[in-house]
Amino acid sequence: MARTPIEIFTPPNMLKAKAGGTGLGLDGAALKRAQQAMEELKTEFAAWMDTDVEKLSGSRDAFAKQPNATTHGQLYRASHDLKGQALTFEHPVVARMAASLCKLLDGSPDTPLLLIDAHVNAIRILVRQNVRDVSDPTTNAVAAELEAQVRELQAAA
Amino acid sequence: MSGYRFDRLKILVVDDNQHMRKLVVAILQAFGTTQIYEASNGARALVVMREENPDVVILDWMMDEMNGIEFTKEVRNSPTSPNPYVPIIMLTGHTSADCVQQARDAGINEFLAKPVSVKAMLARLTAVIEYPRPFVRTANYFGPCRRRRNSEDYAGPERRSEFEIVDQAASS
Repeated sequence: MARTPIEIFTPPNMLKAKAGGTGLGLDGAALKRAQQAMEELKTEFAAWMDTDVEKLSGSRDAFAKQPNATTHGQLYRASHDLKGQALTFEHPVVARMAASLCKLLDGSPDTPLLLIDAHVNAIRILVRQNVRDVSDPTTNAVAAELEAQVRELQAAA
Repeated sequence: MSGYRFDRLKILVVDDNQHMRKLVVAILQAFGTTQIYEASNGARALVVMREENPDVVILDWMMDEMNGIEFTKEVRNSPTSPNPYVPIIMLTGHTSADCVQQARDAGINEFLAKPVSVKAMLARLTAVIEYPRPFVRTANYFGPCRRRRNSEDYAGPERRSEFEIVDQAASS
């Protein structure tokens, strides 16, 4: 069997040459400035969530009108994006439901619209009513039920 | 305090969501970065790479017209790649072990899970500045070494020792 060479090499560290630095831990001042910048941006999070939820709704409508691999993929991507963004924008329950929707959509494009709508409608309500409390029993019950239905569907498949 | 001159670095942010880009740009600006470029997909990012030659790429996974994995493979392996060695930090909501492995096998340097955390972002930038991974070229892979540490507990095959290892310019 012919030997296949493996090369291991270290290119010059141009990044370090440019950025300098002492390498002694994270820059506390930079962290503080960045955390402040995040705080200032939080005033825009509500509007951003509205946009992302509208995008999810639009994708749902496109899928409902013409269910195919393309519209299914777009709906999956909208729910995946919302899952990541909702956590950043401090909507953990929305993130949980978006994750459940992602799980539902992952795989076969043959996804029941009723269950998609249950997720999308719940997400719309949470954002409209600005519900963020992860300990709220009602929202937890709804999220748990959606997850259970997704599990049941996938177990039956 | 590390005191990095982020103002000397050019950073490319690639994400199809404009709000996420805005957030990452705000964080980078707060770190001191002044030369920040944006792209909404991998194809556009390649164009920006040719035009601006960024020092670091912060990259989303799911995008139309070339996603993050496709972009990374193109940068690492295409003969027309503008810079096959550019540090790539993937910022994504895909966090399963399989996804992390897939991203590593495409050739990313560091992986950053959403939600975006200021501290984690700074830690990944610090990692690519202070602890750059050596590059590995095999028949099936070219990119940063996928190992972060050598585990004494590892009991699997040592694939590197089965073959001739050419260690070029181990230190420069």
